[in-house]
Amino acid sequence: MKKLIVLTPLTLLFLICGFFIIYLTSDKDPNMPPSALLDKEMPFFKGVSLYNSNQIITSKELKDKKILINFFASWCVPCKIEHPLFFDLSENFSELYILGINHKDPQQEAIAYLNNEGNPYNFVAVDKDGSIALEFGVFGLPETFLIDNNGKIIFKFMGPLTKEIINNEIEPLL
Amino acid sequence: MKLNHFYKFLFYINLFTFLFILKIYANEDISERVKKLTLELRCMTCQNQSIYESEADFSNDIKKIVRAKIKEGKSDMEIKKFLSDRYGEYILFKPLFDYKNLFLWLFPFIMLVFGLFFILSKTRKK
Repeated sequence: MKKLIVLTPLTLLFLICGFFIIYLTSDKDPNMPPSALLDKEMPFFKGVSLYNSNQIITSKELKDKKILINFFASWCVPCKIEHPLFFDLSENFSELYILGINHKDPQQEAIAYLNNEGNPYNFVAVDKDGSIALEFGVFGLPETFLIDNNGKIIFKFMGPLTKEIINNEIEPLL
Repeated sequence: MKLNHFYKFLFYINLFTFLFILKIYANEDISERVKKLTLELRCMTCQNQSIYESEADFSNDIKKIVRAKIKEGKSDMEIKKFLSDRYGEYILFKPLFDYKNLFLWLFPFIMLVFGLFFILSKTRKK
């Protein structure tokens, strides 16, 4: 009993110190909190095409497909950096459905941006008021999500994608 | 007859004034709730600022959502859950009291009990 009384606070102290050391030395970036939607079902959304307002896409139509959802805008500078990488992805993985969500962008500017940079997306949906971004918990552009055939979000990345991220993290999931 | 019309007119004037004041109070109440709630929410794109204090695009969107949800009659808890379901618990300055955070909330009390137990056993010996 005497030993227990002395050892318990000491053990607890070591446990707390160990927890803090592991937490502080881990690669966790407080500016990049984990997505609340990871491993959860893709939220429902409905998007109008950037090019034709009569064309509408819903998340229900995309079931049974592997989908890469990329939130972008013409005013977003980092989006330009990652943009060419989507061409490689669409070339190498023809079965992958790449959906671009144009976030809070004037229509003409978005179209001009895709004319200049090229359009790697299978469909470009407009998110004029940010409601689709809200459903996906997006708070900065660009953001990319990978959804599996069962409609589950299996990968999320905040910021511009790089070749390394695509090779090491996205391609193994495709 | 004329007096009757006058009373009717007076009645409508009073009714409109009453409704107008009621609306002002209701709006003030909503604004107060928006302020209180957004002070407890983290601006995800800022450095240590609440949604209320921030003028970032993201914060203004969340303020609009919070206001809309309050008008829909949602409770503070429901609004917090709606946001944390999408943005994660990181958006809340104060973590929720649920099974995942149980240890976090109860740990100080566990330590207190241990500490008291330790002090008591030491003083008894003396």
